[in-house]
Amino acid sequence: MIPDLSVRIDKVKFSNPVLVASGTFGYGEEYASFLDLNKLGGIITKSITLNPREGHPPPRTCETPSGMLNAIGLANPGVKRFIKEKLPFLRTLKTKIMVNVAGSSVEEYVGVVKKLEGKKGIDLLEINISCPNVKEGGIAFGSNPKSAYRCIKAVKENTSYPVIAKLSPNVNNIMEIALAIEEAGADAVSLINTLVGMAIDLDTKKPRLSNITGGLSGPAIKPVALAMVFKVAQKVKIPVIGIGGIMNTNDALEFILAGASMIQIGTGNFVDPECSIKIVQGLKRYCQDNKIKRIGELVGKLKTK
Amino acid sequence: MIYKKEGLLLSIESLSEKVFRLKIYSPDMAKKALPGNFCHLRVTKGFSPLLRRAFSFHQAEKERNSFELLFKVVGPGTELLSQKNPGDKIDLLAPLGNSFSFPKKEENVVLLAGGMGIAPLFYLLNFLLKKKFSPEKITLFYGVKKEEELILLEELSSLRIKLHLATEDGTIGYKGMITGLFLKELKEKRVKLKRTKFYACGPNPMLKKISQISKKFNLHCQISLENHIPCGIGACLGCVVKTINGYKRVCKDGPVFDAREVILD
Repeated sequence: MIPDLSVRIDKVKFSNPVLVASGTFGYGEEYASFLDLNKLGGIITKSITLNPREGHPPPRTCETPSGMLNAIGLANPGVKRFIKEKLPFLRTLKTKIMVNVAGSSVEEYVGVVKKLEGKKGIDLLEINISCPNVKEGGIAFGSNPKSAYRCIKAVKENTSYPVIAKLSPNVNNIMEIALAIEEAGADAVSLINTLVGMAIDLDTKKPRLSNITGGLSGPAIKPVALAMVFKVAQKVKIPVIGIGGIMNTNDALEFILAGASMIQIGTGNFVDPECSIKIVQGLKRYCQDNKIKRIGELVGKLKTK
Repeated sequence: MIYKKEGLLLSIESLSEKVFRLKIYSPDMAKKALPGNFCHLRVTKGFSPLLRRAFSFHQAEKERNSFELLFKVVGPGTELLSQKNPGDKIDLLAPLGNSFSFPKKEENVVLLAGGMGIAPLFYLLNFLLKKKFSPEKITLFYGVKKEEELILLEELSSLRIKLHLATEDGTIGYKGMITGLFLKELKEKRVKLKRTKFYACGPNPMLKKISQISKKFNLHCQISLENHIPCGIGACLGCVVKTINGYKRVCKDGPVFDAREVILD
């Protein structure tokens, strides 16, 4: 028996629930020489903004216990060059392509989304309202239900692609934000983006990142992510995409039990570039071994009593 | 072509108190690795430490299907690596990054190695000699803090190249930094500038100085940079260095850069 791993978000059908997270996979091409990208459920691009962004000065990353901090600063070539230089390669793939969109105003989000409209090779948009490293961008919208609603609503009104809202864990009540973006018409919700963190070099008495603080990712944040995915999945009706320290098949299964229909691999790509493909194979084997016909049967099947 | 494979550790050798040399069996990588390229490896199957560690190739011999890495124990990652045993398998991603651009037969070569910076330059040196580059045309400036840190001295002495040593405490060779020695030789016009290719690797303060000297004397100098490298293949933009042409990725656009191009802090 070949288990059915497919998942659907709005009109888009994914061959399996495994995605690679924004910012950890470049624009796909970087990994193409040693991975069969078509075996992935989907690829999410690095965040795209209206204009090119240089990003923060180095150092931009540092390792922490079972995790890492990053403050890249949304470095990207801007939407025009993305379409011209990065999209042609992505278009050649059979896997689903999601473009991650960031901005510092509702107008900027809308501006990017309008430029992406109708471009061949794009299947969905993931709206980053949760970047912790850029003062005016992302997080400003994701930390408040009203502004999150406004941003997603405006995006929805200006695009025909299904829209996923990516949420920040650096908020008082993530469930309120999730409900707000669902209300605004988001087709799915992905969580969590990185947690604000910091590391200090005792020898120099300086922060290890030029931006002083950065976003924490990796196995260190998995318990936080699981709890938030579980809580949000209880509240919303749209599909939940789980992100946060997923390194192997068991981690992925935990998120699925907690209520995630799909999962994203982020930092895991750095540790093992084949991590995502191994998880696709692992999920298939798990379903076969446990006589599960459809992966969907497992979603939210956590036994709480 | 980038390979992701398990290599077999053939030997681990201690060269000084904290410096180790690994010999790893991996035919593909031994065949493809050029001087300047690096290898990204996992020191543990677990998640602590989490990320891969980057090491320049120190030697690659396709005839023996093996390559060598040289490293100094500086933290928990390299500590774990120093405890590996022959027969252990190591998760490798290589060869990564660009390589040095090589000199023409008639050109002179000056190598500037500070501390562990000797690792890739030693490979470059042996690579050139293997290609029948005349050893008389090669000069190596090699500086460390103190005499005990000088490694590979026997091998280097047997190569018939010009060797200048510097130690910060003056226990052997020139007393002071290698950049001080190099600048002195430059000023006294004992270093040929015309038709000479310069190569440097070492700690950042040294490379910053080399970069300044290269700009001042307009040297054709390539420097190999070290950095924390999360992905190794140009995807995460986490390892960038500032250059006159904007930020560049050490792992993909480098690790070898023109010394006149980079802006080091």
